[in-house]
Amino acid sequence: MASFNSNEWRAICDKFTNAQNLTETESRKDPENDPFRSKYKARDLLREIYCSLKSFEAGEGEEDSSGESGDQRPTEEPVDGQREDVFGQGFSGDSPAGLRAARLGAVEYYLGVNHVDTEELSAGQEHLMNCMKLLERCRVSSQNVSLFIHVRNQLGILWAGRDETETAQGFLETAESIYQRYMKEDGSPPTDMTEYFTTEENLLTHQERTKRFELAYTHTMYYLAQVYKNLGQTERAATYCHTTLQRQLQLNQFTPMEWALNAATLSQYYITKGRYMEGRHCLSAATVISDLAGEVPSEAAAQESEAESERREHLRQKRAEIARCWIKYCLNLLQDARKQLEDNIGELDTDRQDELKMARRREEEEEEKGRKSALLFGSEDTFDSIASIEEKVMCLFPLDFTEARSVFLVGQNYVTQAKDFFQMDGYVTDHIEILQDHSALFRALAFFEEDMERRCKMHKRRVDMLETICNDLNAQYYLLIRRQLMFELAETYNEMMDLKLTLANRQADTQSLDNHTIKKFNHLCSASAKYFQMFLDSLCSPEGKYPEHLEEEVLRPALVARFRVARLHSRFISSSPTVQLDNLNKSLENYKYVVQYCEAHPEAEAAVETELELSKEMVGLLPLKINRLKARMASNN
Amino acid sequence: DLEEKILQYGGRHERKIRVFCRIRPVNRAEAAQGGAVVVEKIDEYSVTLETPRGPREFQFDKVFSAEASQEDLFHDTSLIQLAIDGYNVCIFAYGQTGSGKTFTMVGDKEQKNPGIIPRSFNAIFDIMQENSCKFNFKVSAYMLELYNDRLQDLFASQAGEAHAHTQSRGQARRVEIKRNRKGVVFAQGAETKEASSAQELYALFQQACANRHISATMNVESSRSHLIVGIMVESRNLTNGSVSAGKLSLVDLAGSERAAKTGAKDHQLKLQEANSINKSLSALGDVISALSAELPHVPYRNSKLTQYATRVKAITNNAQRNVESKEIAQLKEVIMKLRSGQAVEEEDV
Repeated sequence: MASFNSNEWRAICDKFTNAQNLTETESRKDPENDPFRSKYKARDLLREIYCSLKSFEAGEGEEDSSGESGDQRPTEEPVDGQREDVFGQGFSGDSPAGLRAARLGAVEYYLGVNHVDTEELSAGQEHLMNCMKLLERCRVSSQNVSLFIHVRNQLGILWAGRDETETAQGFLETAESIYQRYMKEDGSPPTDMTEYFTTEENLLTHQERTKRFELAYTHTMYYLAQVYKNLGQTERAATYCHTTLQRQLQLNQFTPMEWALNAATLSQYYITKGRYMEGRHCLSAATVISDLAGEVPSEAAAQESEAESERREHLRQKRAEIARCWIKYCLNLLQDARKQLEDNIGELDTDRQDELKMARRREEEEEEKGRKSALLFGSEDTFDSIASIEEKVMCLFPLDFTEARSVFLVGQNYVTQAKDFFQMDGYVTDHIEILQDHSALFRALAFFEEDMERRCKMHKRRVDMLETICNDLNAQYYLLIRRQLMFELAETYNEMMDLKLTLANRQADTQSLDNHTIKKFNHLCSASAKYFQMFLDSLCSPEGKYPEHLEEEVLRPALVARFRVARLHSRFISSSPTVQLDNLNKSLENYKYVVQYCEAHPEAEAAVETELELSKEMVGLLPLKINRLKARMASNN
Repeated sequence: DLEEKILQYGGRHERKIRVFCRIRPVNRAEAAQGGAVVVEKIDEYSVTLETPRGPREFQFDKVFSAEASQEDLFHDTSLIQLAIDGYNVCIFAYGQTGSGKTFTMVGDKEQKNPGIIPRSFNAIFDIMQENSCKFNFKVSAYMLELYNDRLQDLFASQAGEAHAHTQSRGQARRVEIKRNRKGVVFAQGAETKEASSAQELYALFQQACANRHISATMNVESSRSHLIVGIMVESRNLTNGSVSAGKLSLVDLAGSERAAKTGAKDHQLKLQEANSINKSLSALGDVISALSAELPHVPYRNSKLTQYATRVKAITNNAQRNVESKEIAQLKEVIMKLRSGQAVEEEDV
């Protein structure tokens, strides 16, 4: 900088500024049939700068490197990942030689990017590699570390674009380690690349330098997340996504709603991995940050202006989406807890419950430590608000009814929020999904409820929620959803039926049930059978024929439905032998169907092993029972 | 694949999608270059196509040769009566830019050879006229353009459109596609206009076309957006007062060659953020949502058209496998009892 005369230098700086302007601003206005016009102009300017610098260097002579280790590094292609010693050997980055190298390197860098932008990838690669070679000779310092990182980011992108993901990975991982080591050993706000060609007055503040540098590293994280995902290393990818999000918040480089949605989506990933603490943290952050997107315009304001109306829609919808992610959190937490606690017939195993409660006492201490080491989101203002939302719901498995209920209530609250936006009129499928989740919440809670009566009431809520809708929906368009609903209703009625029986048997120790109970039982039994049958009928062709071959998605449910219908028919209570006979015959018919279908389609056996086995038994045993009944009927006449 | 598709064909049982093929005649430029014609109609239902790997045959429900007139085509696609009868009918034109979709659907500019759309308009009102003593009719229309994933109402007013050509189209209102619980699809936010004659309907159509995005590249007749014309016919039976509503949807799709130009390959990292100081890393959301194929909920992010793409969910989550359910346990007990000869006279509990 010192040795160009100030006019020459100023000219170079102006050219550079022009080139930047052309690349970033003017290029957006380029017409479609000449889209790279400005960038070509910028390229010329950059080349001129390069020539000026080079010619100057030639004039400079040998006044560099004498005091430094003048190693002529062998000019091997720097395949990245091997250059850990960028901190160790070479010119000091701050020396005149280092600065010269950095400047030239920067021009090569910008040329490289320019070529990549104009779809000339190999030329771009060449320039970027030139930049790398120039930097090879220097040690990392605050003068050049930004360039070290930027060029590797670009090379990462370039190779990823060629599907050479591992090569890309190499460059990006090196960038990562350079950053980390720099921050550890130095950490001062590094020179931004644009500053190589600015005059003294226009140098950036420390703050601005840091900001840009950190942004570059955020990009490194962001690209690595993509690379790991492409390599199938999803856990690592998730970690890097998390880090990217974290950095965006810390450095205040984010758009609130977009950030919130990303965090909410990441929470869903954590949920699939059973990492509820991280999931909860993501969701809480999502909630807090989504509020930063601003107030929802009122209805009145929305009426006045199109823009306000759209904004209102947008905000309300995104927040409702986050609510739905919360619902899934609560639901999955309850369901996973159940899996830990249930015995082999799906009831709560009290021994296991005690075990887990004891284990948990130990876990709570771990949780505290875990939190600190886990990646926390936020900045000073948001840490607290995020924590306060986290406190409202647990992240460990609920182990008894009280805990389950608290999770349930949180979930239910979000259901209300979500439904407020996703109303039936306008969002049919979304609305129904939310109802299904609500029903599933009840089902999950019922598992923990010891009182059978109350349990039954919960199932009744589910029926009430889903029955009307199921019958209301157009059968053609909502076929798949209706099938889900029918199946769920059938199973719910079945549950209720069993509960009624358990209740009745507990209240009266005798075998015989009173008429009222029988009536209730039968009603539930028929209702269950009805919905299973409806489900089966929905598989038929318009002429009413069952399909010869069941598609994979419906194979197991269809056979299970048959199996259950068979069972339900045989459970129907009636004093009339004719009715009994009729039911037994229907029962047999359905068991037979299962057996016969599996005979005709052996590949189906694997899907319904147990049910098939039992159906075969019943097909063998029921006829005997039927005959005994017929005999009795005959003898009674 | 001629599967029975349950479509908007109302009560009919042969619910097929019918696919017609129309061959465009060689145009002047092509004739001058003297290229070879590679498509040939074999019979009413098949065409043969010369490909670099030899001739290939394709089957259709009907084939129209280059000599077929607009009249011929309309005659064979006459589904107008159905729409008036209360069914929903839809006609799509699909093909590359320059293959003649707009000619088929709209006709030429001077309307010396009107296409399906103007002919439909006439047919609607002709049929209505014939039945005017038995029915009362009401005809209304909406016209939409789908461009760059945005649905826009082509009836929206043109006020203040000084920068219409360079920017986005200013005040055009956003339209959302919704389907209510009865399964009726409607375009929320789209203006519907009534028409009492074929001329009026055609005038509305012209107004709508004038409002479309015209792209200067390739083909002047806008090749980048989809045109959707919906004509609703409501008829009231004068004898018994019953009302039926049918809809005719006419769609001129954008050039299909666009479909191949999908976004960047999956493995390509998202570039644009690298070179601008951009606050949001827009692809981050995509990366996160792709972390697992089984995310419980993915916050809606994408285009309107994917809203109705069926997200088929397995019903099997309800038919549990691993836990030996109560049902099965109970049944096993019953079987044991039956086997051991215990006469279970009463209910099987």
